[in-house]
Amino acid sequence: MKITNGKDFWAGLMFIGFGLGFMIVANNYAMGTAVRMGPAYFPTVLGGMLAVLGAAVLFRAFVSKIPHPLAVFPFRLWFVVGGLVLGVFAFYTQVPRDGGEVEKIAHELLSGVAIGLLFAAFGPRSLWVILVSVVVFGYMLKPLGLVLAAGLLIFGSSWGGHEFKPKEVTFLFVALAIFSVFAFVKGLGLPMNIWPAFLE
Amino acid sequence: MELFTNLGLGFSVALSFQNLFYCFMGVILGTLIGVLPGIGPVATIAMLLPVTFTLNPTSALIMLAGIYYGAQYGGSTTSILVNLPGESASVVTCIDGYQMARQGRAGAALGISALGSFFAGCVSTVIIALFAPPLAEVALKFGPAEYFSLMVLGLIAATVLASGSLVKAIAMVILGLLLGLVGTDVNSGVARFAFGVSELSDGIGFVSVAMGVFGFAEIINNLEQKGSREVFTKKVTGLLPTWQDIKDCTPSVLRGTALGSFLGILPGGGALLASFAAYTLEKKVSKNSANFGKGAIQGVAAPESANNAGAQTSFIPLLTLGIPSNPVMALMIGAMMIQGIAPGPQVMTERPQLFWGMIASMWIGNLMLVVLNLPLIGMWIKLLTIPYRMLYPAILLFCCVGVYSLSNSPFDVMQTAVFGVVGYIWVKLECEPAPLILGFILGPLMEENLRRAMLLSRGDPLVFFQRPISLTMLLIAAFLLVIVVAPTVRKKRAEAFVEA
Repeated sequence: MKITNGKDFWAGLMFIGFGLGFMIVANNYAMGTAVRMGPAYFPTVLGGMLAVLGAAVLFRAFVSKIPHPLAVFPFRLWFVVGGLVLGVFAFYTQVPRDGGEVEKIAHELLSGVAIGLLFAAFGPRSLWVILVSVVVFGYMLKPLGLVLAAGLLIFGSSWGGHEFKPKEVTFLFVALAIFSVFAFVKGLGLPMNIWPAFLE
Repeated sequence: MELFTNLGLGFSVALSFQNLFYCFMGVILGTLIGVLPGIGPVATIAMLLPVTFTLNPTSALIMLAGIYYGAQYGGSTTSILVNLPGESASVVTCIDGYQMARQGRAGAALGISALGSFFAGCVSTVIIALFAPPLAEVALKFGPAEYFSLMVLGLIAATVLASGSLVKAIAMVILGLLLGLVGTDVNSGVARFAFGVSELSDGIGFVSVAMGVFGFAEIINNLEQKGSREVFTKKVTGLLPTWQDIKDCTPSVLRGTALGSFLGILPGGGALLASFAAYTLEKKVSKNSANFGKGAIQGVAAPESANNAGAQTSFIPLLTLGIPSNPVMALMIGAMMIQGIAPGPQVMTERPQLFWGMIASMWIGNLMLVVLNLPLIGMWIKLLTIPYRMLYPAILLFCCVGVYSLSNSPFDVMQTAVFGVVGYIWVKLECEPAPLILGFILGPLMEENLRRAMLLSRGDPLVFFQRPISLTMLLIAAFLLVIVVAPTVRKKRAEAFVEA
């Protein structure tokens, strides 16, 4: 037995994983009967169907006539392991609501690194650079304000592309910052601060 | 005639200053994102969903609809001038449109596609007005069993009509249904698959899924494949087609409109399918099919009419049954729900202003689009000279602001980024995300109707086969599956997608 179609192989595994995963988690809920279905009923049935279809796709990977290499996209196993370890650690060291500011920030940084590692495990450089910039924007919008957060996003994501021309990106940043302040905050009245929270 | 009073009401709503303004904004935005490659109507509508919260429902839906059909107009411009589909439904327009541009006939190609689209838009507006009311009346009689079977049919049709592997497409639908179930179960109050995360107990945000998979993943894929493009930005002249062109194209436009209108109504249909099918049909019926691929004007006229017709008639299942036939319609359902409107047959009777206003606005919007696209074509061509490296940071910023403002929380942004990674992987594994989106929006609805149907029948699953409408729909679904699996059709289907 040899895997000919790498894409089908991974897709099959993914479907089986999701199917079984949903079934296992649904096991915690009440099943109910066909007349009065509990919260577990529909997900369990669907999860089973998904796992079966996944098995079919996986089987096809061995008999397919369309050859695809197993390395479908860049994948870094150690990043996944590192991200998961840090993620689990972060999950169990959550700072209580009344905890200190420093601890909270440290915990957020830890979670951030864990997520960044998981993103960086897949795909080309542009994938994690762009998505990390996106997440940073999301978490920095409130403390830093729209203008500076947009700056982080624009400079970060531009750096993720092929060419990075500092002058051009600066121009883009200025134009977009002015546009979003007027369109989103002044025009549409979205509730976000323009400048860092401590300045307003 | 009731139709005329209804349309009269529609025009009185659509012609109000506010609605004209939002219709205009919609078609302008639609043309803009249609022209720009790398951002489609799905990502744009997802981006604007939070914004529509502040509008009244009619204006919001008028604007969002304008984006969808506006994108069909704009997409052709890029296809013809750059040989790059500005919008996925314009893929086939590249084939002959770009060849025409190379022969110096870009003007005629742009002109005929705008005029063909306008004609198709007018016809399909009338079709919606004619066919939606009787369909809605039938739908009012639907019980939970009928709704469940209808959703099965819709989802199966969506997978059958998708390109690529059927098994994977069905698996993606089921995965979508499962992801749609995340969150608090209405019946028991149990937070399912939330893992103690409070944000997840409200369910995974639909906008996050759509934007991550169609917006972010798309950008990453675009960045991965470099490539130079040759843009015909020289002055485009001769926009008005000659008499000979019009004579050549009239039958193609008519066929494209008819086929597009029909395919738009089908579940799983819409602009994309319509344009592919119209091109294939045109090639089949043409006397000199050898000209196709070398700049045949029919190869531009037919798919461009068809995609606009399909884009508009795909509103019929949405407005009458409350069932989305493609991801854009799924977003429209999202928009309706944000406004507190339950999509379904009752929309027409309970909110006639919304229903007829939207239909009338489509005709007005089409008129605006012809004006926007013909005389102002130069402006849109200029846009094409903006390099992608300047575009995608802007798209990202707008997406992020849109997602963030959904509930003013960074969690949604994070969730979207996660779906960006997942979406990238799906594209690489050739798992199409469109069926997943449909499943995602239908998941909770399907479960609810299954539960009700089973409760009413006291747990007898045969209820789905005993009620005639429900049985018919399941039979059609089974029939669709059988014919796709049949070897001869399978070969044809593969060919059709390769050819186009």
